[in-house]
Amino acid sequence: MSYITYALTNVIETLLRLFPFPTKTGLVLIGDPDRMAPVLLTCNYHLTVQRVKRQLTGIDAYLLIATSQGVNVWCSATGGLLTNHSVISVLKTSGIEKLVDHRNVILPQLAAAGVEPRVIRRKTGWSAKFGPVYIEDIKHFLKSGEKDESMRKVQFDVKQRLEMASAWAFPLSVVAVLVVLPFWAEMLLPLTLIIWGLALSIFLPFPLYARWLKHKDKRIGLIFFDFHQGGFLLIIWGLFLAGLAIWSLLSGGFHWEPFLRWAISSFFVMLILSLDLMGSTPLYKSSLHEDRLFSVVIDKDKCRGAGLCHDVCPRGCFQVDRRRHIAAITQAHLCVQCGACIVQCPFDALSFHSPDGRIIPPHAIRKYKLNLMGKRVSKSQ
Amino acid sequence: MSYVLMKILESAPSRYDKGINLVTLGRMRQAYACLASRIAKGWMVLDIGCGTGAMTIRAAQRGARVVGIDVNAQMLEIAIKHVEEMRLSSSVELREQGMAELPNEPAGKYDAATASLVFSELSEDERAFALLELRRLLKPGGLLLIADETKPSGLFRKLLFWLLRIPLAALTYILTQLTTNPIERLPETVAAAGFIIEEQHTNWLGNLTLLICRNPAIQG
Repeated sequence: MSYITYALTNVIETLLRLFPFPTKTGLVLIGDPDRMAPVLLTCNYHLTVQRVKRQLTGIDAYLLIATSQGVNVWCSATGGLLTNHSVISVLKTSGIEKLVDHRNVILPQLAAAGVEPRVIRRKTGWSAKFGPVYIEDIKHFLKSGEKDESMRKVQFDVKQRLEMASAWAFPLSVVAVLVVLPFWAEMLLPLTLIIWGLALSIFLPFPLYARWLKHKDKRIGLIFFDFHQGGFLLIIWGLFLAGLAIWSLLSGGFHWEPFLRWAISSFFVMLILSLDLMGSTPLYKSSLHEDRLFSVVIDKDKCRGAGLCHDVCPRGCFQVDRRRHIAAITQAHLCVQCGACIVQCPFDALSFHSPDGRIIPPHAIRKYKLNLMGKRVSKSQ
Repeated sequence: MSYVLMKILESAPSRYDKGINLVTLGRMRQAYACLASRIAKGWMVLDIGCGTGAMTIRAAQRGARVVGIDVNAQMLEIAIKHVEEMRLSSSVELREQGMAELPNEPAGKYDAATASLVFSELSEDERAFALLELRRLLKPGGLLLIADETKPSGLFRKLLFWLLRIPLAALTYILTQLTTNPIERLPETVAAAGFIIEEQHTNWLGNLTLLICRNPAIQG
């Protein structure tokens, strides 16, 4: 794929990021792999596959694409779309077993919420290991065979914030255009600009106000109305209105009617954009998901310090004392409730505890996955 | 808004049967009956991709002992409920397994296998693997009974097919968040795996195909 096609794919699919985009599953050869070449696995979200292929340029390897119904690795693993079945199926049916002399496969770390290496080994004999979170680290990982702390953690850097702003702004502006076109056509351009402007001003400065976002509240949705949860968004809206008022004064005439019209429409834009603000970041659980209230609890009697929790936690919440063979949750406030640690623990030493005292045991978290609305349903819809 | 969305998403699998009926305009029910009529009392039957159990139950009602497998846990829960309601639990075993997860099943265990609307859900690789595995699992001379959505051949039928399919699939998706992917060259694929196609029924439009296939008596 030429650089221009690759760039174009990235732009178009970033605008449509909120929607699944499946690509062909199976085996792809990267370079000229031999019988000992590494085997990597990813989901069948088209954009992910393109990015993985790009990052693997220059390496000789086998890439397995397992079905996740066209959804990215993390969402599909926590949502029950990328499962043990998807991984087993591609290992057994793609023909990879005839091409390599080893049985080691590297999975993306974020698949850990849905894929269990123990089950894969029992059913196929393949030994699966979790590689880095981001494909950008894969070359380093393949060379050293080790993951350092930074390779384990999710980030929400400028590039990703820009992506999420575009992913929300684009569909919203399409809907706005369709709704507004018949009776307010002259406002199309300004409305689109407002949507993009607000989306960018919400997502780009995210780290500046993230510390004031509260996600442990009982109420779900509409975080906008609570100052503690969406205060910064209200400030952005206020600034926008002030700017609008000043601009109309300077340009020769302030009228209440258009001002109110813009105030109301921009309020709705803001509301929609901030509806799932936290869920659009890799740093927090969606505010629509009940699981955000849960905390991960260690049963000290069961823990034997295997350290898989530490290996798969994308937020660095765990510390493992290798001498005393015990793990501890030292950064509980960072937890995104993805459940990967609970799913992976070989001794079932971890579980979710809800604020009202319910315990959600490991087998339930392995079997029942979150649907889009954060409700646990049995996996794979 | 979120409540309505939640309801829609939650109940998608429970509306699977209705969705299938709609997208295939009710033809699946006849197809299940036609396939089931080939199953005899006392047979061991494997129903691959059993979903909510429509075919499993019909096979069990014919007096067969049925193993139903599916990778979708949510659908299996509905299948278990349906089987219990029909009081067929003693002759039906349901498992969360894919076709690649049966290496421990002995060769020649089954008299027949049924596959309704499952080959269209699989990738090409998976389809080829599943057919080979079915050749192993079926007794020599055992039956493979397939019903699936197919793409018609011929320009006129293709055109008509898409004209009908697009609105129907859209409506079904809106109501049930479900869609199917019709496959091309299904009989050829089955024959290439070594099955003998004894009967082939395709409706006039060419979008639903029933295949009655036999595992050759001498393996090879």
